[in-house]
Amino acid sequence: MIPFAVSALVPAALIAHALAVAASLVSSRHAAWCRRIAFGGSALASALATSAAAVVLVSGQPIAGVLFAHSASALVVDYVVTPLSAWFLLLLGVVAIPVAIYSIGYMAHAVRPSRTPVVSVTFNVLIAAVSVVFVVNDVIGFLFAWEVMSLATAALVATEHETRTTLRAAYLCLVMSHVGTGALAAAFFTLASAAGSMSFSAILTGHVVSGPARDLLFALFFVGFGVKAGVIPLHIWLPEAHPAAPSSISALMSAVLITAGIYGLFRVCAFGLGTPTIAWGLTFLGLGALSAILGVLYALTQNDLKRLLAYSTIENAGIIVLGLGAGMTMMATGKPELAVVAIAASLYHLMNHAAFKGLLFLGAGSVVMATTARHLEGFGGLLRRMPWTGLFFLAGALAISGLPPLNGFASEWLTFQALLLGFEFVPGLTRVNFPLVGALLALTSALAAVCFVKAFGITFLALPRSAAAEDAHESPAAMLVPLAMLTIVCLALGLFPGAVLMVLGRVTTSLPGLADASTLARGPWSMAVGSGPFAQVTPAALGVAVVGGLSVAALLTGITHATRAIRRAPTWGCGGTLTPRTEYSATAFSKPLLMVFREIYRPTREVEALADVSPYFPSEVRYRVEIEPTFERHLYDPLIRGVMQLAERMKVLQAGSLHAYLGYVLLLGAALLIWLGGL
Amino acid sequence: MDDILRALAGAVLQAVGLLAVAPLLRGGIKKMKARMQTRKGPPLLQGYYDLAKLLRKETVRSEVASWVYALGPRLYFAAAVAATTLVPVLIAAAPLEGAGGILGLVGILALGRFALAAAALDTGSPFGGMGSSREMTIAALAEPALMLGLFTSALAAGSLDLGAVVRSELVPGVLFRPSDILALSGLFLVLIAETGRIPVDNPATHLELTMIHEAMVLEYSGPDLALVEWASALKELLYITLLIDLFVPLGIATTVAAAPLALSAAAWAAKVVVFGVVITLVETTNAKLRLFRVPELVAVSLGLGFIGLAIRFL
Repeated sequence: MIPFAVSALVPAALIAHALAVAASLVSSRHAAWCRRIAFGGSALASALATSAAAVVLVSGQPIAGVLFAHSASALVVDYVVTPLSAWFLLLLGVVAIPVAIYSIGYMAHAVRPSRTPVVSVTFNVLIAAVSVVFVVNDVIGFLFAWEVMSLATAALVATEHETRTTLRAAYLCLVMSHVGTGALAAAFFTLASAAGSMSFSAILTGHVVSGPARDLLFALFFVGFGVKAGVIPLHIWLPEAHPAAPSSISALMSAVLITAGIYGLFRVCAFGLGTPTIAWGLTFLGLGALSAILGVLYALTQNDLKRLLAYSTIENAGIIVLGLGAGMTMMATGKPELAVVAIAASLYHLMNHAAFKGLLFLGAGSVVMATTARHLEGFGGLLRRMPWTGLFFLAGALAISGLPPLNGFASEWLTFQALLLGFEFVPGLTRVNFPLVGALLALTSALAAVCFVKAFGITFLALPRSAAAEDAHESPAAMLVPLAMLTIVCLALGLFPGAVLMVLGRVTTSLPGLADASTLARGPWSMAVGSGPFAQVTPAALGVAVVGGLSVAALLTGITHATRAIRRAPTWGCGGTLTPRTEYSATAFSKPLLMVFREIYRPTREVEALADVSPYFPSEVRYRVEIEPTFERHLYDPLIRGVMQLAERMKVLQAGSLHAYLGYVLLLGAALLIWLGGL
Repeated sequence: MDDILRALAGAVLQAVGLLAVAPLLRGGIKKMKARMQTRKGPPLLQGYYDLAKLLRKETVRSEVASWVYALGPRLYFAAAVAATTLVPVLIAAAPLEGAGGILGLVGILALGRFALAAAALDTGSPFGGMGSSREMTIAALAEPALMLGLFTSALAAGSLDLGAVVRSELVPGVLFRPSDILALSGLFLVLIAETGRIPVDNPATHLELTMIHEAMVLEYSGPDLALVEWASALKELLYITLLIDLFVPLGIATTVAAAPLALSAAAWAAKVVVFGVVITLVETTNAKLRLFRVPELVAVSLGLGFIGLAIRFL
């Protein structure tokens, strides 16, 4: 059915990445050309992969082919672009193309020329590895690509390896990734040996294992994929590693790399191990809600713009996992017609998050580049100095706060609908979880709005708080175009929910036991849920209503003020002079919520007043507030201590005597002979 | 095409009508409050005089501010106007039925709040920042309670569309349920918090440390301020109408004819007056809460919502 050329698209994309790598190595002496070739090539390769995804999503037919075959060992690594894979591949394209274009300009300033070739090559390797992860149909190929992806990420995080914190972040990223990969390898090999095959098509049918072994495998897979997805409590590496990388890489990590974990959760945990149990669904629902609420609470108190965005990634990963969990619970209770709403909501939010988080991280990158700082308290007044960056960042902030008619609203609307349906139709006490999670989701989305009023307002409005912000300049056009592209994606995803759901229909019909999500669409502009015709949303209509309201406002002020000029006057400085130091600070902005949720934050406060003459006339007041790193302190520290103690005990075995080691080999040999002989 | 035109005409009529009466509600509450405190109080129509005066004044904006500062009040106003088209007032269907229902309403109002809170940071005045931070905090805390209350009503109707909710309440035999009292009390607390009434905020104060909403809009003057004031009044009327729709829609017209519409208008006005009296009573008999006591109030509201949901459906 599918012409031959189509199945060549994915290998062609990989070859294009390889060519870009080769060409950038050849031109490595000329940093500018190296950047253009590597990132331009990467964008082209992503376009090829994206077109493969588009073909699959339009036709509904998977594309299959072989990536690598070795006849002597009979190793064949094949790939299948299923509609689910295609959705993730499309997401990769939506983010990777703007990020690559942005990087051409950005890397010139962010990375010293001598490191350009390394970064360019690693970038291509990373994108290629992620595409392979999304399409490969074989355990060996998957684990290989997964490992390459983890290593490339860590290498990119360590770009600025002179800084101690960066090095630590890269190390933490590596350690956590490998804990995850270890869990994945164990789980995949168990599954493969039970099925007697290495192919995903054989081992992910859902009939391979049953009983408690299935639950154990689920747990292993959850740890393996959850680490990448940044689900709490496996998130601790994420807020360290994402901000440490150059900003365009941060965008890629937050928007795309977490979805590699989520791809695994979908492909394996939810749809690869047979019908989920209620316990699995509720685990996802609970941990998703926990990640969402804690993610946004931590994001709120961050004053480092990139860390704030990284914590917000945890929040959004939480919303995505929460939707998936709701869907799994519904499947477990035999309500696949409801599950499709939750699964569609989850996949929709995934794409939306990629678009707006990519946009926000790239915007943050431009700000960091212009001011050479990351701290909110050093920004301010940037909207006048960087008008376009500010405008696009505002669009991203509105989208991530779930405000109509942008895309965050559409997917959160669908998630709420799913939770509501869950409460209405899921039998038994299980349903009580849904309104609880719904209330938490409402709190999350409202707190996200607070967080992004702060992020946008403190960064872009009022007076500049530092000399660097005072002298900031708008970024070059090459860095603004990608922001514009992502803004358009955010707007389109928000205005055409029906069209998105029609595409998602292809994905859901390909998943075992799920109905067609396109029945939720009402034409390209609207979506509707439920039997009645009235639980419907048309974001464009809301947009039109707001525009109508704006014109009423214009009419009211226009009648009386058509001819009168606007007078500019200084802001009242409360009796003193208005300086940047009298502005409301980022710390102060989130202080009320820090106080309200102090049981969660457990802040420690230090106020120090330095006085020369008398304590009543302090010359300097220092204020420090720190939040307790709950998970590090109460979960990981005991874990690390335990591992260290165990290692200490194991030292007895590792005596350093050759005789002892030879003795171990002998004992092991004997034990093996007895065991094998007994079989 | 006819449907769309009719919906648009309805939307415009409803928006203009609510805009026209909104200042009266604020004036009425002010007057009642004054009478209870044995003061004479400003005239009932003072709200209109104020708006007319503000609209005629010169626009003065801060030197520091950017276009966001000008956009803030306009978007806040536009959001409130847009929200009126999503709520059934006289007829048991919202003009823009299918545009977004309850969640659309919450989203639109959040958009307006976001715009004004961001704009408040733009002048560099510490008051703007303080108000912005506090307003967003309280709104965020009230959001889950609001959502839970709305969910309780929506679940009974099986739809998140307000028109459908109202129609399901009008079915003969559906009487007032005990869970409604809990849900109504919960949502009433949300109304107090969202409209900046005592005990959460004091609309009459300009005392620096207690202001919330007023601090946020302190720098505004002239037509900009008129838009903010008008939108706030409209929002208050909208929230009251929402509570009427969810809990006591009796009397609302189901057909577009003169007699039912007149009856519906009278019933709606009477119910708004009752809510106004209750708000006045709450405002005169309570003292403003400390900012950090407000979360407790909101928690009570959330708890009421949960209990309402539980006894209704379990």
